[in-house]
Amino acid sequence: MNEAVRVVYNIHHEIPLGALIANYFYFTGLSAGSFILSTLAYVFGVNKYKPIAKTSVILATLLLILAPINLLIDLEQPYRFWTLFYYINPTSAISWGSFLLTLYPLNCIIYGYFMFKGNEKMTKLFGILGIPLAISVHGYTGFILALARARDLWHTPLMPVLFLVSAMVSGIALTILVIYIKDRFFSPLMKANEELIVDLGKILAFSIILDLSLVFADIIVMFNSNPEALQIVDRVLFGKFKNLFLGVEIALGSLIPLLILLSPLRKNITLVIISSLLVMIGIFAMRYVVVVGGQIIPQI
Amino acid sequence: MKKTKRYAMLIDLRRCIGCHSCSVSCKAENQVPLGVWRTWVKQVEKGIYPNVIRIFLPLLCNNCERPVCKTVCPVKATYQRKDGIVMIDPHRCIGCKYCMAACPYNVRYVDPIKKIVQKCTWCYRRVDAGDLPACAKTCIGGARIFGDINDPDSEIFRLISTNPVQVIKPEKGTSPMVFYIDLDITAVEARENI
Repeated sequence: MNEAVRVVYNIHHEIPLGALIANYFYFTGLSAGSFILSTLAYVFGVNKYKPIAKTSVILATLLLILAPINLLIDLEQPYRFWTLFYYINPTSAISWGSFLLTLYPLNCIIYGYFMFKGNEKMTKLFGILGIPLAISVHGYTGFILALARARDLWHTPLMPVLFLVSAMVSGIALTILVIYIKDRFFSPLMKANEELIVDLGKILAFSIILDLSLVFADIIVMFNSNPEALQIVDRVLFGKFKNLFLGVEIALGSLIPLLILLSPLRKNITLVIISSLLVMIGIFAMRYVVVVGGQIIPQI
Repeated sequence: MKKTKRYAMLIDLRRCIGCHSCSVSCKAENQVPLGVWRTWVKQVEKGIYPNVIRIFLPLLCNNCERPVCKTVCPVKATYQRKDGIVMIDPHRCIGCKYCMAACPYNVRYVDPIKKIVQKCTWCYRRVDAGDLPACAKTCIGGARIFGDINDPDSEIFRLISTNPVQVIKPEKGTSPMVFYIDLDITAVEARENI
């Protein structure tokens, strides 16, 4: 019967949240992930990660300063952005975000300042303050999507968790890339710390497994959900987004890096770097598929 | 005890002939720019010749009892009047488009001239002056009935009480306030191929 139903006339509905929003989610994810990595040494006392802490705190701060620029450009009335700070709606995730996006980079700057000054006690204090902030600054972006009731791909309690795990994945991959480039080309020794990179590769592999299992759970439940959700999964798996989702996000961005990182090849630094690069591309594809793919089906 | 006013709209699809005069009068009344619509008539064909029907489905903002757009607006630019009409403060809207993403009915649009989000407000100026919304006033088949759903003497109360009525997407939990008589769910669910 469904083949015998044709839409003769309907108006065009634009996709309200586009690539800029996906990019914003990508940047906050990278920032939160690298921040958590930097706290491993200074808060949890795992001293072998000390060499990466300074790099990752700079990354976390810079990315979180860049991220809201995406939001500003996306606003239709960019000069009204400051009203977010006094017209507050406690039920709106964006309203929570305007405060998180101010507090978190400030905390990052103070935390980084004490780290570079060598004040371990204060670094630990601001690191402890920063962990819940980093989790909420990325968790809230998951809530932005989860609270938009209309879109079936977004409206799931899994969304904030999925976003946090993918933030860890992309943050670790970015840190591996940056410390490799830094040590290989800009340090006096001109040599990468191979042991550390191999070790970070292990954490990366573990996070990718967690991320894949969450995506898998999400898709399985969507398949058994209402007809609209089924239509979206259909577009994502077999339709317009199949190359981006199955090809880039799953195969290129998760499975190939996972195979490299779990096999004996994980000791090969070049391959670890390549898989980190692939992971970064894969997570961007994930953000894009979630944000734009979630809105691909018009509601009416 | 006198109950508070609660406006609602009933669309009797048995009377809709798909002439689009509601869309046109809305454009004229609210000065809606080119390319965007506050109300429109979706047309769907069902069946294969000779067993075929053309369904007309007028769509507009449902001015929900529990509007999700009001919940998600970060600056409270979207608010609800006491009589239930969901409004947008044009001086507050920052144009983040979150409400458009959250609306299950796709009735919101970005005004290409004012650069803020806009939608149907049931012609609140006309309603406050005691008149009908432009679409209800102009409907030649008398398919759109507008009134106070809490007033037992109103036509809309009488028709909703004595007919089987439906709303679009009740499962979204928004309690929409546009009711339909003779609604075909296939017309709601039909999508263009994407």
